[in-house]
Amino acid sequence: MYRVLSYRWTLLSRVIVTVALLLIVSAKTAFAEAPTFTVGWSVYAGWNPYFYMARSGILKKWADKYGVAIKVQRFDYAASLDAFVSKNIDACTMTNMEALDMPAAAGVDSTSIIIGDYSNGNDAVLARSNLSLAQLPGHSILLVQKTVSEYLLERAMVLNGLGSDLPQLKLVNTSDSDIVGAYLGDKRNQVAVTWKPLVSEILGQDSGVHELFDSSKIPGEILDLLVIRTDVLNRPDGSGVRFAKAITGAWYETMAQLTGSGPMSLQAIKGSASASDDTVESYKEQLRTTFLFSSPQSAEQFATAGALKQKMDLVRQFCFHHALLGQNIQSVDDVAIIYPDGSIQGRKDRVRLRMDATYMRLASQGKL
Amino acid sequence: MVSAALKLEAVPAPATVAPLPAPRRTEIALRNVGVAYPAGREGVKTVLSKIDLDILAGEFVAILGETGCGKSTLLRLILGQEFPSTGSIEVDSKPVKKIDSRCGYVPQKYSLFPDRTVLGNVMYGPENANSRVLGRIRPSYFRFRKSLEAEARSYLERMGLRPQDMHKYPHQLSGGMQQRVAIAQALLMRPPVLLMDEAFSALDPSTRSSLQEQLHAIWLESRPTIVFVTHNTQEALLLGTRLILLGRHQETKTQRNNVLLDMAISSARLPFAERQHSTEFHELHEYVKQLAYRSSSMHREIDLSPALGTEGCL
Amino acid sequence: MKPSFHPADLAGIQVRPSRLWTQSLGWVLFLVGIALYVNTSIARHKENPEDRIAPTATQLFNGLKSAALEPAEEDDPVDPGATLWQRLTHSMLWKDTLASSRRFLIALALLIPAVLLGLHMAVFPYFGAVFQRFVLFFDKIVALSLLPILFIAFGIEEWSKIMLMVIGVAPTLILDTFNIARGVPREQIVKAFTLKSTNLDVAYRVVLKQVMPQIIDSVRLNLKPLALFLFAGEMIASTDGLAYRIAIMRRHMGMDIILPYVLWVALLLFVMDALLRFANRRLHPWYQPL
Repeated sequence: MYRVLSYRWTLLSRVIVTVALLLIVSAKTAFAEAPTFTVGWSVYAGWNPYFYMARSGILKKWADKYGVAIKVQRFDYAASLDAFVSKNIDACTMTNMEALDMPAAAGVDSTSIIIGDYSNGNDAVLARSNLSLAQLPGHSILLVQKTVSEYLLERAMVLNGLGSDLPQLKLVNTSDSDIVGAYLGDKRNQVAVTWKPLVSEILGQDSGVHELFDSSKIPGEILDLLVIRTDVLNRPDGSGVRFAKAITGAWYETMAQLTGSGPMSLQAIKGSASASDDTVESYKEQLRTTFLFSSPQSAEQFATAGALKQKMDLVRQFCFHHALLGQNIQSVDDVAIIYPDGSIQGRKDRVRLRMDATYMRLASQGKL
Repeated sequence: MVSAALKLEAVPAPATVAPLPAPRRTEIALRNVGVAYPAGREGVKTVLSKIDLDILAGEFVAILGETGCGKSTLLRLILGQEFPSTGSIEVDSKPVKKIDSRCGYVPQKYSLFPDRTVLGNVMYGPENANSRVLGRIRPSYFRFRKSLEAEARSYLERMGLRPQDMHKYPHQLSGGMQQRVAIAQALLMRPPVLLMDEAFSALDPSTRSSLQEQLHAIWLESRPTIVFVTHNTQEALLLGTRLILLGRHQETKTQRNNVLLDMAISSARLPFAERQHSTEFHELHEYVKQLAYRSSSMHREIDLSPALGTEGCL
Repeated sequence: MKPSFHPADLAGIQVRPSRLWTQSLGWVLFLVGIALYVNTSIARHKENPEDRIAPTATQLFNGLKSAALEPAEEDDPVDPGATLWQRLTHSMLWKDTLASSRRFLIALALLIPAVLLGLHMAVFPYFGAVFQRFVLFFDKIVALSLLPILFIAFGIEEWSKIMLMVIGVAPTLILDTFNIARGVPREQIVKAFTLKSTNLDVAYRVVLKQVMPQIIDSVRLNLKPLALFLFAGEMIASTDGLAYRIAIMRRHMGMDIILPYVLWVALLLFVMDALLRFANRRLHPWYQPL
């Protein structure tokens, strides 16, 4: 009796396993129909619209139009960069500085296809009790080191003729999740450099703190980009190009909604605000200090202007001086940037970051 | 049956025997002592009740009984480790409030400090008695230590340890050796009362008998009051001058308390080597065995012989 | 008569491997790990010669050299004519190691009262009554969640990190000492009292001396959580330290510095553990672990 039962069980289990395998294989082949791309984003005023874009169906519409599948995934900022560099995601939102430090310097050839906005006051240097920039040396400065915050501080000092004071600054690397608590909780912390909405929180809770400098004084230097891996873009079956077109089209439609008027605009703002659990007022406040290239024309213009090269040069010099391009990089030209007009900053054979205006141009010409 | 009046034959006492302390004063007194504690479903568990005992100075009292009949509890009451629910205990006419150096204590095992050598263990008590921490820096303390060490060594050698064992740690010694050291540790303090809780129960027969002899010799020399708990009838009858037999506490009309028997041991007047072979010993042994058997929980009826006089013998 | 080796022995219990086997088998996993890493590194570099996620051996060596001989970015450059020792003591690795070790050792010193509290809780009944429940509860507070409070109370300098370490590890140490001290046989304590000991004698000369080797073992086990809290504090707000450097290096994928740092920290902790083990054996030759 036992032997008969066990035989039946063996047969049954074999049938189940075969059916399961068949289903998996067929599922895989089914998915292989439309190439899937993943875009990683993190919480920031200029990147929250990706969340709304995916939720509202705009992204799916554009993805279907070009026959691709696009997934949008939220990360912590540093984690998104890690995922991009280790090739786990295909595209990522990042600033121009990180685009140089992380993928480009690590040899992952990247292309920026959308310049979404620049920080126009979103990043600020805060100080207590009427401290001025000249008085900064000697005080502890709370900030996230080796990011745009440090860049902002350096630019603030240099622009005010205090570049020689830079080595005397005492920088305390403080993670952004704790900087508000640490700064507000201890009045001995005189200076902090951080971004909105943390800046707004600090200013709102302590009236003794004022802004010494912010990114509106260095317009266009802290850019927020959508960066895609160049090998993904150049896929032989053209799916990468289709992906780029789809995401660009979706982006500008979302931008149009966001900056337009009427009920759609309200929805777009609400959707984007909910990406970071912000209130609509708080999100609008952040947008006020973000210069959005809401139309593809404005974006393309900026991307092809000569000023872009100047600003990128400032950023790459900063990165090189702080060894952010890698310990072994001997010269700033070893991580080269190529621009839409073909000019190259750095060694021709070491191009790692490409500023590409093609898709923004296509969008402005309505050819998407 | 053993009768109360035994014919005591005059036997010459050996030279190393100290005379009985006179007048015989009560060293340990238990008055109406009872120990009971709440125990779950059974309500209240009574271990001892209405115990009245007077132990005179210099007696060697053997407390006999099966496991769980309260003999260890009785010992701990005298020691001060446990408190009675009713009644009072006095040692040397002073009530027992906590454990102090009036009594020496030798448990069955685990009594040696593992982080000290044999000598260190034995010298611990007298060192404490001599001075506190700050006093140990004085030069007179070093002289004291030297003489103490010499004394400890000689005592241990008498107990049967070899010189090379003196610097060993307890875990390196056999069970018998450890018990010898434990006894030495307690006795070096020369306490008036010595309490021994099944001290020889974990030893093999030959070690056991050698230690019994040694304990007897020590008792003859300095005559401390010894309360010796055991479950071995032969050992009790061999060593003791007085036997107390405890049974498990049961509620009967005839039984007043756990004490089933409290009598002088007639064969104690004989020299140690001859005791085991005397007829009194055998008769006593049989009688006690019978009593113990009958008192076990299987039987309800108990035949108590009237409590006999508690005069010490020899 | 040496028994011959049979492959089935590997899965047996009643076997006695020879010393050669036990010593050489202990290195196998290290070799496997190194081999896997080298494989990954070579594969990644073939695909992308500038890969920074899995640096090659030369890159790791260069990273280590620059960390051990070059000063930190925020410090002044070293004198070109300096001796090797001067370069070592001015280097980034030295500075970070000193900063982290200071915090670690101060926290360890502050844990001594914790051990004493556990001892008193076990030996003195009133102490136990007052503290036991509270310590059991306090143990369950996730120390890392207290960090913002610690920053407010102690500032973001050294003391908040040290207090984080102490608050994180002290309850474990207290409870462990409590359990260990309770394991001392009652007979010895009773005996000590009959040998004219005072309460403090029993607590320190009888109980503490006995349980010292077990306490040192407990401290050894707690070295890792201590280091964990140190790293958490340093990564969140610091100006120097081993974890600080790792957090900074992460911003630009400096694995050629991060990996040597990780191995260096492991080596430091391993050495500290070995020192404690050795000290334990020398100080307490009588200790027989069960």
